[in-house]
Parts: sequence; C-alpha cells; structure tokens
Amino acid sequence: MVLHAKRYSLTLDKNKCTGCGICMEICPREAIEVTKTPKIEGEAAKPPTVAISEEKCTYCGMCETLCAFGALSIKINGEHIIPVVNSESFPQLIREITVDETKCGVECAEIEDACPLDLIKVSVHTPDGKEITGANSRLNKENLEVTVNIDKDSCPCCQLCETKFPDSAIRVEKIFHGNLRINREKCPEDCHDCLDVCPIPGVLYLLDDGKVHVNELNCIYCGVCRIVCPEEGALELNRTRIRHTEVRSGAWNKALEKLASTKAMTKELKTKSGKRLYESMKSRFPPEVENDV
Amino acid sequence: MMSEEPRVGVFVCHCGLNIAGVIDVKELIEYARTLPNVLVAMDNRYTCADPGQEEIRKAIKEHDLNRVVVAACSPRMHEPTFRRTVADAGLNPYLFEMANIREFASWCHPSTPKEATDKAKEIVKMAVAKAKLLQRLETMEVPVTNKALIIGGGIAGISSALDLADMGFKVYLLEKSESIGGHMAALDKTFPTLDCSICIEGPKMVDVSRHPNIEILSYADLVSVKGFVGNFKVKIRGNPRYVIAADCTGCGECRDACPIEFPNEWDENLGVRKAISVPFDQAVPLVYTINRDYCIECFKCVDACGARQAINFEQEPEDIELEVGTILVSTGFDIYKPTDDSRYGYSRFDNVITAMEFERLILAAGPTGGKVVRASDGEKPHSVAFIQCVGSRDVNKYEYCSGFCCMYALKNAVLLKEKYRDDVEVYIFYMDMRTHFKGYEEFYRRARELGVNFIRGRISQINEDPKTKNLLIRAEDMMLGDPLELEAELVVLSTAAIPSKGADEVSRILSITRGADGFFMESHPKLKPLDTSVDGIFLAGACQGPKDIPYSVSQGSGAAARAATILSQPTWKIEPIIADIDSSKCRNVNAKCGICVKKCPYGAIKALENKAASVTAAMCHGCGTCVAECPTDAITQMHFTDAQILAQVRAALEENPEGKILGFLCNWCSYAGADLAGTSRFEYPPTMRAIRVMCSGRVDRDFVLEAFRQGAGMVLVGACHLPYDCHYISGNYKMKDRMDALARIFEKLGLSPERFRVEYVSAAEGVKFAAIMREMTEQLEALGPEKIKAENEKLRPTLDKMLSRKRKK
Ligand SMILES: Cc1cc2nc3c(=O)[nH]c(=O)nc-3n(C[C@H](O)[C@H](O)[C@H](O)COP(=O)(O)OP(=O)(O)OC[C@H]3O[C@@H](n4cnc5c(N)ncnc54)[C@H](O)[C@@H]3O)c2cc1C
Ligand code: SF4
Ligand code: SF4
Ligand code: SF4
Ligand code: SF4
Repeated sequence: MVLHAKRYSLTLDKNKCTGCGICMEICPREAIEVTKTPKIEGEAAKPPTVAISEEKCTYCGMCETLCAFGALSIKINGEHIIPVVNSESFPQLIREITVDETKCGVECAEIEDACPLDLIKVSVHTPDGKEITGANSRLNKENLEVTVNIDKDSCPCCQLCETKFPDSAIRVEKIFHGNLRINREKCPEDCHDCLDVCPIPGVLYLLDDGKVHVNELNCIYCGVCRIVCPEEGALELNRTRIRHTEVRSGAWNKALEKLASTKAMTKELKTKSGKRLYESMKSRFPPEVENDV
Repeated sequence: MMSEEPRVGVFVCHCGLNIAGVIDVKELIEYARTLPNVLVAMDNRYTCADPGQEEIRKAIKEHDLNRVVVAACSPRMHEPTFRRTVADAGLNPYLFEMANIREFASWCHPSTPKEATDKAKEIVKMAVAKAKLLQRLETMEVPVTNKALIIGGGIAGISSALDLADMGFKVYLLEKSESIGGHMAALDKTFPTLDCSICIEGPKMVDVSRHPNIEILSYADLVSVKGFVGNFKVKIRGNPRYVIAADCTGCGECRDACPIEFPNEWDENLGVRKAISVPFDQAVPLVYTINRDYCIECFKCVDACGARQAINFEQEPEDIELEVGTILVSTGFDIYKPTDDSRYGYSRFDNVITAMEFERLILAAGPTGGKVVRASDGEKPHSVAFIQCVGSRDVNKYEYCSGFCCMYALKNAVLLKEKYRDDVEVYIFYMDMRTHFKGYEEFYRRARELGVNFIRGRISQINEDPKTKNLLIRAEDMMLGDPLELEAELVVLSTAAIPSKGADEVSRILSITRGADGFFMESHPKLKPLDTSVDGIFLAGACQGPKDIPYSVSQGSGAAARAATILSQPTWKIEPIIADIDSSKCRNVNAKCGICVKKCPYGAIKALENKAASVTAAMCHGCGTCVAECPTDAITQMHFTDAQILAQVRAALEENPEGKILGFLCNWCSYAGADLAGTSRFEYPPTMRAIRVMCSGRVDRDFVLEAFRQGAGMVLVGACHLPYDCHYISGNYKMKDRMDALARIFEKLGLSPERFRVEYVSAAEGVKFAAIMREMTEQLEALGPEKIKAENEKLRPTLDKMLSRKRKK
C-alpha cells in the first residue's frame, strides 16, 4: 500500500513458506489466499501457493507473528515493525531453543544436516576469531571455539535436531501441540500427497499396506497435509496448545478459535484471560461446548 | 347556505379611459342587468380606489348580495384587493369573481370598440355564470412545531443552524459522517483571502456544539419523513460508533493503543487513521468511532479507556424520532474521480491527483505535514500542472460549470508559488478563467504576477514516463491553435463537483425534485431560489448546484430566514384552493386505481388498498391535475370545480360558437402572457374567450369535449413551457399526455387538426400570444362557419356518448 504519507509492505519468502495456511486462517481481512497446486500425473504433490492482496491487507502483522516458518515480514516506511506486537494485541510464538555451547565439540558440525530447513549453522573459530573450515581433519583441536547459530525466527520447532542427536547441545520445545490422525478407511490407497508436502521428513511415512502413517514425535501441526489431502475426513488435525507470550487480547482469542480445537481454547480463555474478555467471546461458542468444559 | 338563491352584484370599472375609452360601459351595465340572478350592476371610474371599494361594500349591504363580480383588470392584478373588500363587508372572500375586460378586451381590441364591447359582455356573462356556483371556502390553519431539522452539516448547514438557533428555535443538525464541517473542514486555505479554512470554520463548529438550542445528530442517516409544513415527522437511524458519546472524553488514549491503521477518507486516503479514531483533530462532536471493518477486536482500546468505560462493542443502531416544522437540506456535493476517463491517467499514474487530494497535501495538518510530494518517490515536484474542467463543461460527462474550480486552482497555484518560489514552475491548463465576484479578478492578477503560466487549451492525453514517473501532457493551445506537449512532475486535476451520493435517497424521502444535473431543484430559479416544491422544505449551499463558501454561507442564512417565516408562527395558513376527494365516488374502494396518487406532482394523495384515496390538504398545492385525471370524477378542486368551469364554457359559447376560440389558460404562464399582450397593447382579433385555471394540468378532457359539443370553432389549451416552467412541477406534462391522446381521437373523428391546439406561452411572451391569436383567427376564418358546423354535427353523437357515459359512471 503506497500512500503519500506512509509506505507499507508485506513480503512473503516463498522459499520458507510451506503453504500451511495458518496465516490465511487467522487473517482478519481475508487478505491471504492459499491455493492448492494442481497435481500432475505421476509427479509428487507440490505445496499450496500463497497470495496476499495488497488491497485488503491492513498490515497488522498477525500473520507474521503466527507463521512458524518466519516466511512473512511487514515493513512500514522501510522499517520492520509488527503493529499488533508493539501494541500487545497479539502474542508472539515462543520458540524455546537452547544451545548449550559448552557441550559442543567440533564434531557437532554434523548436526547442521539434521535440520530439514537448513536453519543451523555451526562454525568453528580459533580463539582470535578466525573461522576454520574442515575442523574435523585438523589435528590440534584444543582451543577451538564452537558456535551454533540457529535462525530461530524461521524455526517451526520440529525437534528433529534433538531427536537425531539426543546428546547434543540443542534443546527444543514444540510451539504447537496437538494430534494428527489418519483415518485408514478414508485414506485412499496410492495417495501420499500429504507425505509429499510435509516439510518435516519422517513425520509421515509409507508402510507396506500402501498407506501413510504418522510419527507425531516431530509433527509441528502446521496443517499443510490437511490442505492437500483429497479425501474429506481422511486426515484429522487438532491443535490443543500453542506456546505464546501472554497477552490480553480479543483478537488473539479469535485467532485461537480458528486455530485450536474449541475445547482447548475455552480452557485457555478461562484460565489466562480476564473474565470480561471471556464474556465478550461467549456468544461465539456453541452452547454444548460451553457446558462441556 | 350553499343552496341559497345567488344574489349577484356586477361592478364595472372605467379604469379612467383604459376601459371606458374603448368599451361602452353603459351598454355593458345594461347588459349585465339582464343576466339572471344579477340584482345590481353599476360602474365606477376607479373601482380599486377607496370610493370604488366603498361602493361595493355598500351595495353588498344594501342589496344583501351574496356574490360579487368586478369587471375590470386582470385577476392577477387586483383579485386579492377585491377579496379583501368583500371580506370587509362580511362576505366570504371566495364568493368573488373577476371579469378581465381590460387586458382581455379594451387594451387588445382598441380599433374595434363594438366587438370589444361584445366580448366584454361575454366575459362578464362567463364571470357571472361561475360566480353563481361559487362556494364559500375557509382558509385552513395547521399548528406549527417550531423546531427545525437541518440535513447536512457543511458550512451551509452550520450557518443555517446557528442563525435559527440564535433566533431561539430548536435545531436538529443531522450529519451522516462522523463530524460536521463538510468539505470546508478539509480545505487548506480559502480564496481569495487565503485564510486558513479550519481556523475560520472550526470556531463555528464549536459554536454549534455548544449552542443550547442545537442538537447534533452525527453519524446518522435519514430514514423517513412524513407529514407536511409545520408538522413533519422524521425518523433517523443513528449508526453505532461503539463508543458511548456521553462517556467519551476525546482523550485519544484508545487511539494510541490501537494497532490497526486504515486509509483515512477525510485525508482523501493519502494518510491513515486508527481503527478507533476521529477523522481529524478538530472533529465535532469529538467522539471516537471504531471502524468494525478494520478492527481486529483485540480490545486494547477497552483497556486504554479504562474506568471511563466509554467503549461498547455491543452498541446497536439507534432509532430517533423527531417532530419538526421545517426541514433545511444542505447536503452539499461530492467530488468526481475521473477513473473512467483514460485521458487523465488518474489512479493509473501515481503522480496524477485531484485538487482535493492536493488540498490535503499542502495543508500543514495534513498527512504529509504540508509537504507537497509525489506518491511515486516522496519527492517535491519542480513542475506542477493544474488541469481545469475535468468532467465539468463536458457534454459527455457533466454539462455544467462546477463554479469554484478556477478559483481554487488559482489559490493552489498561488500557494505553491509562495511556498516554493522559483523552485517550482506552475502551469494552469484552462478553457475560460471564471473569476467573477468580489476580489476574485484581483486574485487572478496576483497569480499572473507571481509567474503562474496560463495555457488556454483542453487536454487530449496524459502519459507517464515509466522511468521518471513524470507526466507528459498533450494539449491543444487554443490561443495559437498548435498542439502542445509539456512535461510535469505532478498533475492536479480540477474535477467536477457532482451531486452528493445520497441525493437520490434524500429526494425520494422528502419528495423534492432534482434537475437534469442531479442537484436539487429550487422552486423558482430567481424568486424562490431557497424553496423547494414542498412547502416547509428549503435548500442551502452546494446541494442545489456548485457554490463557493461565501455563497453557501449566504444561502445558509437565507434558508434560515425562510424557515423562520414558518417557525415564528403558531399556526400556518393553507390556501383552500385544494383538491378534495368524494370517497363515495372513488374507484379505489372496489378496484385498484390510484391514478391520482401517480399524477399528483406533490405526493399529496394516498390510496390505501380498498380505501378511498385522500388528499393531505397541507401538501396539496392546488394544481388540479388529479381532478382532471380521476376516471370517476371523484375529485373536486375547490374554486375551480367542474361545474364552475363547464358553466363558463357554456356561457362563452351560447352565441355564435363557431366564430370563437375557447381558451383554457394556466394562471402563471399563458394567462400572464395573454395579460402581457394586453398590457403591451398588441392588437389581435377578438375571437378568444378565455377561462383561467391555476395549472394546465387541471384541463379535463371533458372541458374540451363539452366545448366542441357546444359548437366551439376552436379550442386552445395554454400552458407553461416544457420542461421546467410549470409552477406545479409537471402539471404541463400531465396535460400534454392527456391532450395528445385526445388529439388522436379527434383526428379519427375527422376534426380539422387546427381546431384543437396546445400552446406553451410564457408570462413574457405577449408577442407570441397575440401572434397565436392572429394565426388561429385566420385559420378559423379559412375554415368558415359552415364547415365547422358540419364537422360539429358529425362529431356530436360521439361527444354526447363520450360525455354521457362518463357522467353515468
Ligand atoms: C478542492 C476544493 C477547493 C475549494 N476551495 C475553496 C475555497 O478556497 N474557497 C471557497 O469559498 N470555496 C472553496 N471550495 C468550495 C467549498 O468546498 C464549498 O463551497 C462548500 O464546501 C459548500 O458547503 P456545503 O455546506 O454546501 O456542502 P459540503 O461542504 O459538501 O457539506 C455537506 C455536508 O452534508 C453532509 N451530507 C451529505 N449528504 C447527507 C445526507 N444524506 N444526510 C446527512 N448529511 C449529509 C456531508 O457529509 C457534509 O458534511 C473548494 C472546493 C473544492 C472541491
Ligand atoms: S503460515 Fe504457513 S502458509 Fe503462511 S507464510 Fe507461514 S508457512 Fe507459509
Ligand atoms: S498483515 Fe494482517 S491483514 Fe495483512 S495479511 Fe497479515 S494478517 Fe492479514
Ligand atoms: S479492539 Fe479494534 S479499535 Fe480497539 S484497539 Fe483493537 S483494533 Fe483498535
Ligand atoms: S394533483 Fe394538484 S390538486 Fe391534486 S392533490 Fe396534488 S397538488 Fe393537489
């Protein structure tokens, strides 16, 4: 949006975007459209594409804060500003990623390869700061310092690094919690579209029965699988918890309503937010759900 | 009383020699005495002078007269005088009739005194025939609610509101947007004095909000208006702001907390405002509004508002009902955005803007802090071209001149020059520079002296240089006749002022008319520029046509004064010459009719299903159109009843009908035109016998049929010019439709076409009236009485049938 007084932009990094559609789900302006990529016979399914309407967008930044992959970025007059975060109208995802660098040896460089999104950079320095490549082949390994850099803003916290190297220096907590089930009856044979688009390898896998199975250990509950799945009801995704900074905000309640199961949301609403906000949201609950909790 | 035997007195005036110089008054009096029911006939040198009037009063008493006919000048001249005279003598003023023997006889037939006298006799005879059937009428009085509603809170509405409130009347000021102020509140400086617009309007806006007699109803829409002058019932819908006006202190803390920005319409979308905000700092009332289209419902504002608890997301629309005596319309104008005209490149090219957008840029409190910058790069332009008449004076778009664009372009050119001096080159492309009114031409000279370049020519195309985003203007220099190309870094379009968006809705709700250009129509372009066709509803400002600020303010005060003429009265008098429906005859009781409802130009008639139609007396203007249209003759126009007019027709045609032209002339135009022919002493043959009706819309088909049945040589219907001259909005059109159909019937029946004629004669066209008389008389003579008689004989059975069938129904 170009105004005489201000310039706004929202850019989407197509390399980071997986097409999960979380942004579309929560955008209050319906400014984001996620379209399935048409399938070509014999080829693997491709992730959906995302388009943003400049006309509808108000540059609030809700999408940016919730994109687990850090694919979106708002700029106002050239500066990176997220209005809803500045005003505490929206939480930020909590990415609890800790690196205990004291545990790191030069052999840690291998962990780089564990990240499916290529977000980990391990570098080895001499005490005077000179970077060393091929440290493993070096004889004198003492005195070398190892730093682990993780592009945290783009990390969906799949924990794959931790799973693959349980003893390593990296500890990750998931952002999204929930459950993902595949309904065997409905899941058609020979289809593995979900598997094709899942950004985290190993979460979905094929067994001899020709069907896709789930390993929830590393699932980030982004939901791109649900978008590409051709069979209604074959794939069921529930988010039960989202780790986020604390806010008192109706807008967040609304987003929660869209992202998480109603039950989970009611719980959060009742415990965390003020009663008044809960009251204001009450009308949106189907009555059974309310009684249920 | 009505059925009492009429006792008529006839008073013939000499008017010095004006009448007596041509007409044999003695003979006329003798003749009058022979007329049935005439008890006395006398003459006077000047009947309108005191002794003359006294004579009438005396005669009424002496002879117990209950009808009075004065044969003198035109009723347009002295009817009111003589009505008072008879009223003084205790007679109902409507039991008086005038015979116009001066303008219609002595003055227009001076060289044929014998024929003039014969004509005068028949004019008196017609007047007596009508007089015998006259009925007493009472002027109605309706109570007046002395409160006013003003629709539209621009500078015109503000001026009206303050004036009326200062006079002591309660005023409701209805404004559809969040703040009053209108366009003026968004302007930078104002021509020709260059004073800051909001600095002079702001205090007025505050006065409005503080005035104990004014209630502002902002952010609200007009829903319906019922009733009539003095007694309007108004429904208004207040839109929810989601902020409780009474609790909002205008502190703006909610705005600071709100994360959401959206383009500010008040800034012509050049800047932004928050989802909870006021459109501009000086807004009146200073109450914040949440735009729910953009609000994300984070409720940060609720927190910020805190203990004041002014924010309420559950607010519902509010229905407001008012009773007022008058309504002032001041809904202003809108600005044309030339997105549909590819020549200008507006909305395609970043650096082509409208003049209103320019106002917001150069305004210090505007979105750029007063910096004139280009959208493409945020840089200050070094050359600016103003293009005049964008959409205006364009037969394919808006034909009219928008009036204030020349002046505001000069203003903005001067402001640019004074701000950036030689750093900016300013061009104005114009067709004609229109700088009338006080101080405007001097301002034009100031612009020239400052070095503004004036190019007389119309634009053919604007193109954009894709690299620099500069604009290449192609035009034809009208002075030199050469094509011309000019590069400018910024182009400002002076776009047309157009009727405001809701104008059609307002016109429908209030039953006020709009002209072909879409602006509201005044009742009379010169003499009633502030009135509408509906009594009690007035216009002010740019809603009636583009107007600058001084003009709008004057109109605001003018309309307030017009409204006060009603508001200051405890009751309002309504002329009794109105339509009245006999419910026992109305067809709508048994069938779906409602013809009268459709034909009434004033929306004065209602016809509910299975109920007789009824006229709201205070809304009826007495044109009589419905009377002529009613298929069952259920409607009567007081003082112009069917019986009265038919009696005039028969009286006029009793003798030698083939040699006469029977005329039905509308009071305001054709009758006045005929008067003027007399006043101007245009001589024409004395063949016409004229019957006055208020509006040509009153001329019933039956009148024409009866005239031919009585053997008339010719019939003329005279009306005001189409399209707009009719004093009852559209009575002339209704008459035209009716008479066109009748003419087709006559054609089939073998009537010579020249024998039935409709003519449009204005009050200024005495020459035309006399010419028509000469032409028609020639045709009448050419046809000859024998042919006419023969045609009439042939016609008679059909006419008998047409008239009798109708009477029986
Ligand atoms: C670019 C530009 C520059 C100008 N510069 C000057 C100048 O320097 N000097 C000068 O003398 N004049 C100038 N003018 C002209 C000036 O703007 C007008 O003379 C003035 O605004 C007319 O006032 P108004 O009250 O009749 O109408 P408006 O200002 O249009 O006000 C009408 C009001 O009615 C409200 N309204 C409309 N419809 C409804 C409805 N249905 N219900 C309720 N409310 C309604 C509107 O919201 C508005 O508040 C300029 C005009 C333009 C476009
Ligand atoms: S939320 Fe998902 S779809 Fe949206 S930008 Fe991020 S990765 Fe792409
Ligand atoms: S910035 Fe806000 S409005 Fe724009 S796309 Fe993201 S969520 Fe939607
Ligand atoms: S609730 Fe709406 S108006 Fe209030 S602060 Fe949030 S976005 Fe702004
Ligand atoms: S048509 Fe004329 S006379 Fe009839 S009700 Fe309407 S205004 Fe009155």
